[in-house]
Amino acid sequence: MTKNRIKRFTPLQRLSHIFLMVTFLIQSATGLGRTFMETKWGQWLCWVFGGYDTAREVHIWVGIIMLCGFVLHVLYLLFKADWKGFPQSLFGPDSMLPRPADIREFFQHVAWFFGRRKQPEFDRWGYWEKFDYWAVFWGMAIIGITGLMMAYPFTSTKWMPGWGLNVAFWVHRIEAILAMGHIFIIHFFVGHLRRHTFPMDHAMFEGSVDLDAAREERPSWIGRLEESGQLDGALVTGVQPGLKTLYYIVGFIAIAIGVFMLIGALVNAPLVIW
Amino acid sequence: MDRIRLLYHVLAGSLIVGIIIAAIPVYAQDEVSSSIRRYKAYEASTGYYEEHEVLPRRQRPLITIPNIRQGLFPYSPSAASVRSRSRLADSHQGIRFYEGRQCWDCHTAAAMDIHTVRANLTCRQCHGGEPIASINYYWSPLNPIRRHAYVCSKCHEGATASYASYVIHEPNPAMAKTFKSFPVLAWAFWIMIGIAVGTFLLFLPHTVLWGIRELFVRKKTSGGEPDDKE
Repeated sequence: MTKNRIKRFTPLQRLSHIFLMVTFLIQSATGLGRTFMETKWGQWLCWVFGGYDTAREVHIWVGIIMLCGFVLHVLYLLFKADWKGFPQSLFGPDSMLPRPADIREFFQHVAWFFGRRKQPEFDRWGYWEKFDYWAVFWGMAIIGITGLMMAYPFTSTKWMPGWGLNVAFWVHRIEAILAMGHIFIIHFFVGHLRRHTFPMDHAMFEGSVDLDAAREERPSWIGRLEESGQLDGALVTGVQPGLKTLYYIVGFIAIAIGVFMLIGALVNAPLVIW
Repeated sequence: MDRIRLLYHVLAGSLIVGIIIAAIPVYAQDEVSSSIRRYKAYEASTGYYEEHEVLPRRQRPLITIPNIRQGLFPYSPSAASVRSRSRLADSHQGIRFYEGRQCWDCHTAAAMDIHTVRANLTCRQCHGGEPIASINYYWSPLNPIRRHAYVCSKCHEGATASYASYVIHEPNPAMAKTFKSFPVLAWAFWIMIGIAVGTFLLFLPHTVLWGIRELFVRKKTSGGEPDDKE
C-alpha cells in the first residue's frame, strides 16, 4: 500500500479521545436523565442506567474516572513536553498553546467565509481545535469541582456554607449545557458535516490524515515538514477497510446518541421544573 | 514571707490560667446556628446574636432584613403582615379560612423545589404539624439553631449546621430580585449564562458560515482528482 497519509495522532492520543467520548456520553445521558426525570424521556434515559438513584451513582463514578483521566493527561503533557527546547517549544507550531497567529487566522478565516480574503494557511493545529482542546480543561475544572462538591456534600460543607451547593448546582448545570451544546452541535458539525470532512473525519480514530487533503487544509504544516525533511518519516499507510468500517460505526453511533440527546433535551425542556 | 508571696503568685497564676481555660468552649457548646459567624467567631461575648438565636420578643414594630430591606416602612402593609409572621409560634394564626386551604394555594413557588418535586416530600414532613411555627420562631424545629439535627438529618444522616444552610426553597436564579435575596447565586448564574451564550454567539454563526463556504471549494483526496466538478 502507498504511504499517502500523514500521521497526526499517536495511539495514546486516540485512546484518550475514545475515553473522553465514551465517558462524556455516559455523563450526558445520566445527567440529562436526572434533569429530565419529570418527563418520559428522562425516565427512559435513567432506566437505561438502572433508575434515578443508580444513574446518580454512575454519574459520580464515571465523573471521578473522567477526572482521573484528566489528571493522567496532565501528567502525560508534563512527560511529553519538549523541555529541552523550553520555553520556545511551548509556543511553537506543534504546541497546543494559543499563539498570536491563531487570532490572525481566525479573522482571516472569517473573512474567507465571506470571500474577502484567501483561506488562511493553517499549521498543524487550527484555532478551533485549540479551543476545543482547552475547553476540556475549563470544563473539567468547573464541572469536576462543582460535581465533587455535590457528590460529597458533608465534606464540602465543612469548608463552605451549605448554600454554596445551590450555587454549585447551577454552575454545574449551565457548564454541562454549554459542553453538550458545543459537542453535539459545533464539534459534530465540524467533524462530520463540513464538505471537507463529510461524512466523517476519522483522523482521530485512524491517527492519520490524507496527505493531499492536509496539504490543502494545513499547507503551513506540510510545508514545514517538507522543508525540514521530516515529511517522509511522517507518512503512513491507510488502515484495513474493515477497521475503517469499525471507525465509521463507532463514530456514527456517537453521533446518533449525541443528536438523540440534543433533540430530546430541546423538545422536553419546557416540561421540566428547572 | 517569701513562701506567702510564692503562694500568692501561684494562686494568681492559677486564677489567670483558670480564666483562660474556662473561656474556651467545649465541643458540645460549639454547636451553633451559623457556620460562618459562630457568635462572631473569636469574641468571648459581644452581646451580639443573630436574630434567630434570641428568644422571641413580644412585639417587633420594625420588620427589617439587615442590609436588604431597611427604613421606617420597608414593606407595604400586606408584605409587613407576612414578614411579621416569621417569628410566630403559629405562623398562620388569624388567617381566614385557613382550614380549607392547601399549602400551595399561597406558597405556590415553595412547592416547586427539588425536595417536593423529586423526593416527593410533603410540606409537613419538614415544617411539622399544626400549628406550623415560623422557621425563625425560637422553638421551631426549623430554627437554624437546630434545623440540621431536627429536620435535615431525618434523611441526610450526619447533617451539620453548615450543610443545613442549603436553600431548599431556592429563588429563581434568573430573576432580578434574586440579586437581593441570593446575590451569589444570581451572579454565578448570569456569569455562567454569559459564558455559554457568548460561546454559542461566536461559534454557531462561525460554524454555519464555514459549512456554507466549504460548499464552494474543491475537496482533494489522494486520488489526485477533485471529487467534485465545479
